[in-house]
Amino acid sequence: MIEVKNLTFSYGKDRQALHGLNFTVEDGEIFGFLGPNGSGKSTTQKILTDILKGHGGEALLFGKDLREVHTQEFFRKIGVLFEFPYLYANLSALDNLHYFSSFYPKEQLRDAEEVLEELEFKKDFLRKPVSSYSKGMRQRVSMARALISNPKLLFLDEPTSGLDPAGAVLFRRMIENERRKGTTVFVTTHNMLDADLLCDRVAFISNGNIVALDTPRNLKEKNSSHSIAVHYLYQGRREERMMEAPELKSGIPFPYDELLSVHSQEPTLEDIFIQYAGRRLS
Amino acid sequence: MWKSLSSLFKKDCRMMASGKFFLVALGSLLLYTLFIHFGYVNFMEDNADIYNVYLYDPAGTYTQTSPLIHPVASAEELNGALAGDTGGVGICVKDGNPDIVLYAGTEKVDRHRADYALSLLHPGSGYQPETVGDNTPEMKQRREITCELLFIEIVAVGFLGIASVLFKEKQMGVIRVHSIMPLKKSLFVFSKVFLFLVTDLAFAVLMTLFNVGAKEAGGVLPAVLIQTGILSLIMALTGFGCTMLLKDFKQFSLVYLVIALFAATPVFLSANTAIKMDWIDCHPFYHVYMGLKNAFFGTPVTNPVYYICVVCVIILLFGIVEAAFRKEMGKEG
Repeated sequence: MIEVKNLTFSYGKDRQALHGLNFTVEDGEIFGFLGPNGSGKSTTQKILTDILKGHGGEALLFGKDLREVHTQEFFRKIGVLFEFPYLYANLSALDNLHYFSSFYPKEQLRDAEEVLEELEFKKDFLRKPVSSYSKGMRQRVSMARALISNPKLLFLDEPTSGLDPAGAVLFRRMIENERRKGTTVFVTTHNMLDADLLCDRVAFISNGNIVALDTPRNLKEKNSSHSIAVHYLYQGRREERMMEAPELKSGIPFPYDELLSVHSQEPTLEDIFIQYAGRRLS
Repeated sequence: MWKSLSSLFKKDCRMMASGKFFLVALGSLLLYTLFIHFGYVNFMEDNADIYNVYLYDPAGTYTQTSPLIHPVASAEELNGALAGDTGGVGICVKDGNPDIVLYAGTEKVDRHRADYALSLLHPGSGYQPETVGDNTPEMKQRREITCELLFIEIVAVGFLGIASVLFKEKQMGVIRVHSIMPLKKSLFVFSKVFLFLVTDLAFAVLMTLFNVGAKEAGGVLPAVLIQTGILSLIMALTGFGCTMLLKDFKQFSLVYLVIALFAATPVFLSANTAIKMDWIDCHPFYHVYMGLKNAFFGTPVTNPVYYICVVCVIILLFGIVEAAFRKEMGKEG
């Protein structure tokens, strides 16, 4: 679906934002693009959504070089959720969706009310102006705008930002549903939980370079110390012991009265990012 | 393309309506019309005989003077009349020769007043100027003031109107959403400019009908609409460009003041007063204003160079605005 070869971009003579990125995103994959502010992830997304022109290297989407795509046909196939919910504040959710969907062919569109219902949008607010909505409600309308045209490729920038935990779970479920329908999803995020729970593969970007690219599980396994923390009670005292995973093959190799917990000491994606990039994500 | 344009146009109409733009335009129309009918025309009528002529002729040398001359009985009375009516002209006849007495003004006006006073002393004789045009003084005033107010409305109010709508869209961030919509981006610019053009043309029609009169309007409207269209397109595109390039409405207000002053003040001074500026021919708005004024007086611009220049300027502005719009779409949130 996406094939990027030696992608470079510069905002001026001295501001090289991307230094030769290489990655591919397969059809139906959820691909996470992780990096701190200013690392080049927004620039990459803007190039891939054909907003920024003048890149170096190759960026192929739907099998065609971005420089050769017929723009309107290309935009019909993609959906984009921006980091902030950009909507007409004086129009209602339905009016916003009807307006933005009017640029797509009718046969491609989903029913606006149906999409909003899936996103658990409060029905009472359907016809009220967006200016009266909470941030979570606005984010739901923005997500509906991105989904209403049945895109084949979905770009999501911080999809769960501004949502409460229940909203974040709902959004992750919606994204999973999209993938099940065959949609390819390109997620740009700081949120490690989103990346961990949603993405088939993640790329870490730092200072315009991809420093690691793999599945979250592989990244954790590769960077794991394979140690395990065991908490137990022995002779009335609470104890903790660190062990290597192979030591557990033949059971707990020390005396104890009661086993309280066994924790694998797997690194988080954030730990791995710091390890590769030398700095935190946010 | 038509479907996209229609969606954009409907949305722009809603934005303009919610920003009370149409209401402001209607309010302006009402205010201008009331001002012309009940203020300006009456005021100009009252000031038509601004140059009162006072004659002190103790020997009675002049027996057949114009009835517009006010005879006075003494030199003191003449000085007193001029002190109270500084625009008036005094004629003091000594030894059969008329001496002009004026409350000092500017050289050109003083000469004009003196000539006028002397012409009243010898009515029916001497040089009579040839007059052109068949407007009554009131109709002349109506055409002039309608033209001026229409020019102000488009240069100032229309220019501000497009900025207020666009700044709202900029603040809401929705311009960025259009960057990923399957539509020709130039349609976004076209739709707004077209809406302002239609509004300005409607405004020009109503303004001309209400203030010049339905009978007179018929003859001048086609030319007036062409000149209004030219001015409207230039101002809407300039307003659009400024909105894209400037950060917020505060910055825009400053630029607006400069543009409004730069566009309007020297043009009005040059076109309507005795003040002449050598460089005024280089002022683009002077030509557009004179085009509009001539259209109101039934003598539309026929020079093709003018129209070629106008078309080039509009195409150039459209290109600049489209580039600024694309840059705005690519900005961060």
